[in-house]
Amino acid sequence: MFLVRTFLLWLLSLTFAVAADEIEFLNGTTLQGRVVAIHKKEREVEFEATIAGASQTARYPYTKIHRVVWKEKEYIVTKKASGTASASASNKRVSRTVAEVKEVIAEEGATPPPWLESTPLDYPKTLDLDWPQPAPEGWNNQKNVGQYIWDRINPNENRWRSGVRLMMHLLEVHQGNSELTQRVERSLGAMYFRFFQDYARAAYWWEKAGQPLDPPASVGLAECYFRLGNKAKATRALDKAPLSIAKIKLLGDMGDAREALKLAGSVRMSQPHELYLTAGDICRLDGKFTDAILWYEKVLTAPKARNEDYEKRYHARARQSIESVKQFELLDISKLADGTYRGTAMGYEGPLDVEARVRGGRIQAVNVTQHTEKQYYSALTDVPAQIIQKQSLKDVEGTSHATITAVAIINATAKALSGDPE
Amino acid sequence: MQLAFIQPGTSPSVLFLTVLAVAAAFLIVAILTRLSKRTRSRAIVRLDHFLPFVRKRRFPPGDPSLLVRCAQRLLPKHWFFNPVTGSEGALRRWCRQLGPTVLAAPLRRVIQGICFLTFSTLFFYVCWPYDARPVSEGAASPGWIFQGLDQASGEIRFSRDPVATEIANIDRIYAQSSSGTSSWPLEVISLQEGEATFSVPQSETAEILQVLMLGTSPWTFFESEPDKWPSHYADNLRAKERLPADLFLVLDPLVSISTAIASRSWVWSLSAAGIILVVCVLIPRGFCGYLCPLGTLIDLFDGTIGKHVTRFRVGIDGWWVHLKYYLLAGVLISAVMGVLISGFVAAIPVITRGFLFLIEPLQTGSLRSWHLIPGINAGHFLSLFLFVSVLALGFLRPRFWCKYVCPSGAVFSLGNLFRATERKVESSCIHCDKCVRICPFDAIKPDFTTRGTDCTLCQTCAGVCPTHAIKFVERWNTVDLKEHNVPPTGETALGRRGFLSLTAGSTAAVLGGAGVATATKVTNPDANTRPLPVRPPGSVPEESFLQMCIRCGECFKACPNNVLQSLGFSHGLGGLWTPAVAADWAGCESSCNACGEVCPTGAIRALPLSEKKDVRMGLAMVNTVTCLPFAHREACQLCVDECTAAGYHAIEFTRVGTQTDAEGRPIEGSGYLAPLVIPDKCVGCGLCQTRCFGINVEAKGLLESSAIVIEAGSGKEDRFTDAAYEEWQREREQKADISTPSPAAPIPLDDPFGL
Repeated sequence: MFLVRTFLLWLLSLTFAVAADEIEFLNGTTLQGRVVAIHKKEREVEFEATIAGASQTARYPYTKIHRVVWKEKEYIVTKKASGTASASASNKRVSRTVAEVKEVIAEEGATPPPWLESTPLDYPKTLDLDWPQPAPEGWNNQKNVGQYIWDRINPNENRWRSGVRLMMHLLEVHQGNSELTQRVERSLGAMYFRFFQDYARAAYWWEKAGQPLDPPASVGLAECYFRLGNKAKATRALDKAPLSIAKIKLLGDMGDAREALKLAGSVRMSQPHELYLTAGDICRLDGKFTDAILWYEKVLTAPKARNEDYEKRYHARARQSIESVKQFELLDISKLADGTYRGTAMGYEGPLDVEARVRGGRIQAVNVTQHTEKQYYSALTDVPAQIIQKQSLKDVEGTSHATITAVAIINATAKALSGDPE
Repeated sequence: MQLAFIQPGTSPSVLFLTVLAVAAAFLIVAILTRLSKRTRSRAIVRLDHFLPFVRKRRFPPGDPSLLVRCAQRLLPKHWFFNPVTGSEGALRRWCRQLGPTVLAAPLRRVIQGICFLTFSTLFFYVCWPYDARPVSEGAASPGWIFQGLDQASGEIRFSRDPVATEIANIDRIYAQSSSGTSSWPLEVISLQEGEATFSVPQSETAEILQVLMLGTSPWTFFESEPDKWPSHYADNLRAKERLPADLFLVLDPLVSISTAIASRSWVWSLSAAGIILVVCVLIPRGFCGYLCPLGTLIDLFDGTIGKHVTRFRVGIDGWWVHLKYYLLAGVLISAVMGVLISGFVAAIPVITRGFLFLIEPLQTGSLRSWHLIPGINAGHFLSLFLFVSVLALGFLRPRFWCKYVCPSGAVFSLGNLFRATERKVESSCIHCDKCVRICPFDAIKPDFTTRGTDCTLCQTCAGVCPTHAIKFVERWNTVDLKEHNVPPTGETALGRRGFLSLTAGSTAAVLGGAGVATATKVTNPDANTRPLPVRPPGSVPEESFLQMCIRCGECFKACPNNVLQSLGFSHGLGGLWTPAVAADWAGCESSCNACGEVCPTGAIRALPLSEKKDVRMGLAMVNTVTCLPFAHREACQLCVDECTAAGYHAIEFTRVGTQTDAEGRPIEGSGYLAPLVIPDKCVGCGLCQTRCFGINVEAKGLLESSAIVIEAGSGKEDRFTDAAYEEWQREREQKADISTPSPAAPIPLDDPFGL
């Protein structure tokens, strides 16, 4: 028995002695085995490793490999990012110098996302790829690219990737046409920003398009810098952007609540509901609950909104926010009875339902069961994750650009937890 | 359930099963022969199981059969005949209370009871889907970071902030990367606060390894498989289906024979019909006497209600005595012409439909809610009329239907021509007439011998025979037989009247069968004038469907929420009682494949859920005039939500009525988001229509009819006779997605990675 084991160990060491290549991935984990082939064209390494006695051969793309030791020589394939860069919306703040932000935008932003290649090019055959602007002969979303994006791509999450794919196709088609190229680049920036909260790529394309950017895009670009980790660069960019609710919102998100509220107080608008709600949300996320209630109450006494539907929505949001802020003080999660709690609050366009599960004085799960939000879906998973992680509703941070959805989820959860479990 | 081993195309198994069934039948015969009290008789086969009417034994006491000896040892003494006092046992007293037929042949009544209960259980319990519950989601544990792989053992390690585990005491978790949509099962080695170790199932190693090594995003562990296609209805049926739900339907030979003729194809249930016919060579017409639940129900009716009403009684002889043969001929002629009407009159479809339209509503009403009973049409009344008529025939004579009308019985009667065993009367017969009077099938001639085609071997006659003159032995046994035609029967083989009735009956059968077939074809509606019915998922092409659907109604019973409802005369005679999706009422459950599982003929193919979910039974069409967002009336996304929640993602949004500013730019928030169906993804389940109808039409009264409607027809549905839907769907999706890996080239040493 002993002999057999020794023999096996010897065999094992022999294999390693012969094939002791190593591959280290960007996530820090390593594999030992043998480099079978290097596919330069596809930028992939074919690697064979023995795992639990079975040989596994697979191909790994350069972009995921940090380092390869091949024939006892080390090669750095892809540099590790300096911060913990994460393309998706994450509540973890990173901090980068201006140079590092530039590098991230130049490196990560310039590379196409991994799904792009496998995304089929899918658009109506009737679409006029010349994208004349202004669009001729009225509204036709099967002919005019901008209108197709507006009507069909924006509201359908399933089409977002193919939207980016279409833009990349247009870039190829219109190489050399600077006006069209710029339009496509702007649109790409907006897509990466709105759909995927992919700040590196959004910033890359917006920067590539160059000035002048329209007001939402210039606030968006500032937000990209902020999310990528440099607040100073963001502030400088934001200063150039014209005053808008989006700008105030971003200032709030960036932690400049005072500055944001000062701006909010200085603006005069005939339809101030959205502004007041924004200001209330900023106070609330800043922990100033009394001020928040004052702003929300202003919504209820503001002059009539232009549309009955809108007014109903604004009032519902304000009322629910006041209620939930008041409940923050009363709510003691550790004393909640086990069970499933349900609540509803007004979202961007319609009601949003939340289901929260509590077990042993801890919030186990928060799920948005029904909603009519059409974008910034990241809030739908990000905010519940924050609530569970922090076991609190008070200090949840808003997700990029999705404050309304985030606040609605918090409101609905607060309402649910203040009720009785099922 | 269509037994896997008798599916079409597996003829060796069919042969094997047939051999098995015949062997079993022989075994029964052998046991009965062995257990017979008259073991010393010279018969090769002896099927006697009746209780002799006379207590006094012709055989020396102390030599009871093996069966009796076992029973005497196991059961209390006083249940049996006491040879000392000569007093009757309790068993016999009980049987006597239940009636003379039970006393004479108790085993037959017990088997009848078991079969009737089995049929009722299959119908009311197995095909009752409402005790299915979706699998609960289970807990999730987010935020785990992949730490590394131990290459020697293949174990993988994760870590996270040390917070209490949401999942505990579990052998297997499902891991999903927050940037991916697939999940992998992992065997838990340890799962504690902040640290977890798993082993990977061998088959999954390669795939998960890629994702683990290449990913940077955190992982979530799930207690139950996330985003799994639900299967609770299918699982529920499978768990309850110890016996195939359509067992009795496939055993009715007329069902499969006529279906096979009408559709000119091999119908899988033919093998079941073949088995029962072979068994009935040994136990002639045993199906009618023992198994048929309709026969048992008729017995119950005759014994409780029928016997009190005597004013309609008719004599033993009349023009109707051979009606079943003509009915059978008519049905088969119609089938030859490609029109299937046998289900209208075949035994098991009649009782299935009767139960469906009469008792199922009571079951739904009492166990669920009375408002959940779907509406009725002329077809329901016709079916109920037919069912009640079948029972009411009992007023003419007991079991009138079975004796003279039932075409399924006629198949067995014809099968009886090849019988291997039969009832024989010995010369000890004293012409007392007791057997003639008690015979439930009028199968005893005036001379007390047997009408071979009618006898069901129920053995009631033998039980009442005072001289033990009746025996059930092999056909060619001639020991001690009574003389034929004593007393004279007055019957001739084929007299003038017989010839006339044969001629008239045959003519009626030919004319009737051809007439109904023609009428069905004539009333078949023009596809252009009337929308085609949406058929259940997995239905064969419409023409074949009409030729294969036996109209038994089993699918309606098994269908959760009555999505499938019976057509009346709206689609002609040919559409009568066929299943169609009533999407205003309910939509097809994504987790259910019951209709195909319970279909006895394969008109609805039994598809696994993985295939059924890709079957296009129809296509949702949005009415862009009435649909609320299209009509700029109000925001509504009921259909989109319903479709997304069901996992099909076949309806997306399109913005309509977008307003533009002076420069032609769209105004944020203007217009409405309206539904747009993606034809490639829509399977036509009808959930969208149900929702639109339920809310916008019924609850809110905003619309006259649902603004999204399922339509069938060419290009809108996929109906194959034998192709695999799953493969076909995959082919459709992967039109061009092939990348060819380049062959491994020698690696240059100077710049191996080409950086």
